[in-house]
Amino acid sequence: MRPQQIQPSSIRDASVQFQTRRHFLQKCQIGLGAIAAASFSTQPVRGDETRGPMAPRKPPLPPRAKNVIYLHMAGSPSQFELFDYKPELERLHMQPCPESLLANQKFAFIKGHPKILGPQTKFQQFGAAGRYFSELIPNMASVADEWTIVRSMVTDQFNHAPAELFLHTGNARSGYGSFGSWVTYGLGTENQDLPGFVVFVSGGNNPAAGKAVWGNGFLPGVYQGVQCRSGGEPILFLSNPKGIDTSTRRASLDSLNRLNQMQAQAFGDPETLTRIEQYELAFRMQTSAPATFDISKESKETLEAYGAEPEKSSFANNCLMARRLVESGVRFVQLFDWGWDVHGTGPNDDLNHHLVQKCKETDRPVGTLIKDLKQRGLLDETLVIWGGEFGRTSMNEARGGSKFFGRDHHPHCFTMLFAGGGMKPGFDFGTTDELGYFVTENKVTVRDLQATLLRLLGLDPFRLSFPFQGLNHRLIGPTDEGKIREELIS
Amino acid sequence: MIRYRIIFMTLIVAVGTQVCLADEKISFTHQIRPILSKNCFACHGPDETHRESGFALHREESARSGGESGRRGIVSGSPSESELFRRIQSTDDDERMPPADHAESLKTVEIELIRRWIEQGGEFDVHWSYRPIINPELPKVTNQSWPKNGIDYFILQRLEAAALEPAAEAAPERIVRRLYLDLIGLPPPPEKVAEFSANPTAENYERMVDALLANPAYGEHWARMWLDLARYADSQGYAEDNIRQIWLYRDWVIRAFNRDLPFDQFTIEQLAGDLLPNPTEDQLIATAFHRNTMTNSEGGTDDEEFRHAAIVDRTATTATVWMGTTFGCAQCHSHKFDPISHQDYYRMFAIFNQSEDSDMDNNYPFYEQFTPQQTAERERLQFAINEISKQIEIANEADKAGLVVRRDQLANQRNQVSPITVPIMRDLPTEGRRQTHIAVGGAFYNKGEVVEAALWPEFAKAANQRVDRLVMANWLMSEENPLTARVAVNRHWEKIFGRGIVETSEDFGSQGSVPSHPELLDWLATEFRAGGWSMKQLCKLIVMSATYRQDSRVTKEILARDPDNRLLSRGARYRLTAEQIRDISLATSGLLSPKMYGPPVRPPQPKSGLSAAFGGSLDWDPSPGEDRYRRGLYTLVRRTNLYPSFMAFDGTNRTTCTVRRINTNTPVAAFVTLNDPAFVECARSLALRLQKESVGNNQSDRLALAFRLVLARNPSEPERTELEDLLTKQRNHYRERLDEAKALAFGDSADLQTNGEGNPIADSEIIELASWTVIANVLLNLDETLTRN
Repeated sequence: MRPQQIQPSSIRDASVQFQTRRHFLQKCQIGLGAIAAASFSTQPVRGDETRGPMAPRKPPLPPRAKNVIYLHMAGSPSQFELFDYKPELERLHMQPCPESLLANQKFAFIKGHPKILGPQTKFQQFGAAGRYFSELIPNMASVADEWTIVRSMVTDQFNHAPAELFLHTGNARSGYGSFGSWVTYGLGTENQDLPGFVVFVSGGNNPAAGKAVWGNGFLPGVYQGVQCRSGGEPILFLSNPKGIDTSTRRASLDSLNRLNQMQAQAFGDPETLTRIEQYELAFRMQTSAPATFDISKESKETLEAYGAEPEKSSFANNCLMARRLVESGVRFVQLFDWGWDVHGTGPNDDLNHHLVQKCKETDRPVGTLIKDLKQRGLLDETLVIWGGEFGRTSMNEARGGSKFFGRDHHPHCFTMLFAGGGMKPGFDFGTTDELGYFVTENKVTVRDLQATLLRLLGLDPFRLSFPFQGLNHRLIGPTDEGKIREELIS
Repeated sequence: MIRYRIIFMTLIVAVGTQVCLADEKISFTHQIRPILSKNCFACHGPDETHRESGFALHREESARSGGESGRRGIVSGSPSESELFRRIQSTDDDERMPPADHAESLKTVEIELIRRWIEQGGEFDVHWSYRPIINPELPKVTNQSWPKNGIDYFILQRLEAAALEPAAEAAPERIVRRLYLDLIGLPPPPEKVAEFSANPTAENYERMVDALLANPAYGEHWARMWLDLARYADSQGYAEDNIRQIWLYRDWVIRAFNRDLPFDQFTIEQLAGDLLPNPTEDQLIATAFHRNTMTNSEGGTDDEEFRHAAIVDRTATTATVWMGTTFGCAQCHSHKFDPISHQDYYRMFAIFNQSEDSDMDNNYPFYEQFTPQQTAERERLQFAINEISKQIEIANEADKAGLVVRRDQLANQRNQVSPITVPIMRDLPTEGRRQTHIAVGGAFYNKGEVVEAALWPEFAKAANQRVDRLVMANWLMSEENPLTARVAVNRHWEKIFGRGIVETSEDFGSQGSVPSHPELLDWLATEFRAGGWSMKQLCKLIVMSATYRQDSRVTKEILARDPDNRLLSRGARYRLTAEQIRDISLATSGLLSPKMYGPPVRPPQPKSGLSAAFGGSLDWDPSPGEDRYRRGLYTLVRRTNLYPSFMAFDGTNRTTCTVRRINTNTPVAAFVTLNDPAFVECARSLALRLQKESVGNNQSDRLALAFRLVLARNPSEPERTELEDLLTKQRNHYRERLDEAKALAFGDSADLQTNGEGNPIADSEIIELASWTVIANVLLNLDETLTRN
């Protein structure tokens, strides 16, 4: 018999039942199995009183991964300059694109009859299998044998905000729970003194869909991603105000707790007790989070390997932070890096200057992250995901006659990389045609991806659901078109 | 082939699936339909395209006749001959329903209920919320002295049946705070509490209710609730998330509540104000209700795709707000649980599909209006232009050229005062109308059969007229439609009691919960209609009841017998909304600006250093002056970047219609009220206020005033001792650390560092102020402060 999921009777019950553990156990038909026994526990399991909606839960299926680090390259990198080597494009460079590719196609910006654009970088072979990687990403290439490369990703959306939403929340409109919020809803998190789902943004801009890509949608608010920063205060309002030091805070919380206890005794509302716990949790977070977020504690070698600089805000810092958080028992860390939307309207978004710069900023930290996780024995239990929200066209965009090379949005194929967490290392999956326009073999849809990733974490993508507006919503959507792609799992 | 697999939720039905005495009449609506709906309808329900074996259980006729097998589904009085019963209790995996790979088998109690229901005849009846509203008699109760109005009879009857007694009336000061928070969303001034507590008569209570309903803050508080439904935001959403000027609509809602615009008129003006004969400016602005849909101005997007998405949103939002019906489910296929076919959906969709807007960045079509300031500025410039024109007429040639240049400059200035542009609804002219196709599978480009605009046939049997938004709005408010009144009164009930009579206030369909007090719901709906749809009168009716005035204290025993307070055996107690938490902190500290209406404001928020993907910076410079301290309702809602402290307290980013906010209790929320500079500023101001306003100006008076300001009551002895101890501790602490005391007492406000005469403040005063700021910070974080009790 399949294990049950949390099935609250209604949305409000979902919040009500989280108020106390007793309530939680009585009201919600617990599933995710034994809430009593934390499976992956690396942190001491606290007493019952702290068990709440974020308490670690045993996954219903045997898990392959425990944590996720999702590196989202917002704007969508070009597969042709990085992983999907197409000599044929080089041969046809600046030839008019075959008519057949344009039939019934809609483009975001391309107008008229576009020309084929050859790869703008050189490729070299790496690793045991001699896989092709672009010269722009030597560090990612240096861990070639760790990557599972899927060149046959497809999506339904070719505008940024809807495509990001579809990828991360299973729906192209906002208002749905994000991947990270589903995972923490399903599994809780190991370390109760840190948020379970942490988000970092770099590159100066939010992703196109804004906070909705790490939002909780209709899931309880406790599952939304907590946006943190690698420079300055890591969590919003974490620090005490000026003039309140730790001893004053402790003294005032002691008073607050005692006054709240009086209130609890007078009114008997379990919610009051929960509030006391949450304030205590906040205090513990204040104590433990700054240390966890302080990368200056890392060795000089490590900082250099990542290219991280304490006190600054950068993608490199965020990668190092991701490792520190996963190491500390944070379930889901998501990095959004803006600036991959390489249309070629000028040197600030073209393939020959801008993409080169983006690769310089990100290649070293990503390569180092994989090595670092591996070295610390964390890669097996940590699923690392790298990718954008869609692909780029085989043709030059040439918007307004631009002389800079760039590629338009392309939903029919794109490349994603995975490492660790039960994915097959050194494995290539899926192929595209000679021009890299359509998938020729082993198409992987966004729904397949979502189903597969949930399965790696030990969640049943078909059963992980939450009732909202008359339907039991799931990350993978209402239909069963998404499949767990066992081929990808080691 | 795509097969739908719906995972079923367990409905905990208040009056639902308990086993009752053998001879008790089983209720189809309350006991049987929920079981069938959750376990069977996915494959044997209204959706004909996914129906298995030709067997449909949602209609009596087909349930009796059976499916392709030829076996009769339900045979009255004979479970053993009924295929339905045979299959649900079968132990054979190939026979058992629902199939093993699909869902769990039915529970023993459920099977037993179905058996007894079939024995009793297996009769169907219409889903409870689809039945006409009948005005029920007030039930008989034993305790005749408790009820204060009709509501109480219904509540008391259930309590007496459960051998429970209603709670005593809450203490006067608690009642005052409750009433203020529920009706105007703000804490009561201490003098009002004292006034009522001194003389808590029925007349004074009613007088206070009337005064609050007449208070302009009432409109602000209730507008917030409506703006969640209207998904009102000050930006367009999606990647650019540009700011749009639609706040005149927000102001319209506030005014509509304050002038008690009857709910039918309120509805008609928002849904179809533009279609009324000679619509007024206000009626046009009201139609911005449906222009709160998102606009995608990201480069390279297909405007038709997002125009279609906006129509989908309008259809779903209308059904949710007025009918508590999940129409959206029928966007891709016929509804699986409720009688809404794929065609029905697109016929309703067609009603909205004639509006002129088409996902344009400039929000076209819009209504232009000059603000009073702009009008004054234009008049000033025009006056100057007229004056110069007069001079030009009499000027000599030498001066003329200069004057003309000056006049042209002024004219240019006047023309640059651009009006605010409020997006409104406007239908296409008759000759340019769109044809509505069924979007197959919900995909806008996948055009199926053509459909004509029509009302949902469930409640619109007759009419063969041309249906537009105005016809639809009138139909929603007509007696034909039993849902609107029920849904509206339930929502009001929910906002006041924290939970609706129908808990799933967004879903009155078969997947929703059943009402805890069905007759009360109908009685309220009847009163609401009969009272001319007055929302103020509805609020008054509810708060005048004895049910409302109950104490919220609960014993372990009562908690065990009425754990979720479904029977209302006590007063309701729940956390305030994000906006209220801001408002009460500002109000108690004396910072709150009473200014109403106008463009959205930007209270201080931490800098993120980030921009929207293709739009401007997400950071903002705080609004100057009192705009920094306005009610939460006026804070700019940028959809991709909700104001952080609202986000922590379950505020909504208003991308879609939100009927109920889910309250969560997290450490991130604690950080806001403890550390957010906006809340620290409130604590500091409260400390200053205590210093200034406390009459006796000794420690104990100040503490008492603090309690009265924040909690509307005096502290108990242990509470006083607790805080006095903390004060002593903090004074000692800050005496040793004067820099800390200064940092806390003054924050960033240099002007606070001197007293009224410009002399520096004494160290001892700084220590006092810092210590009291700590006390104020504790008070503003109390569970009781954040809670409506």
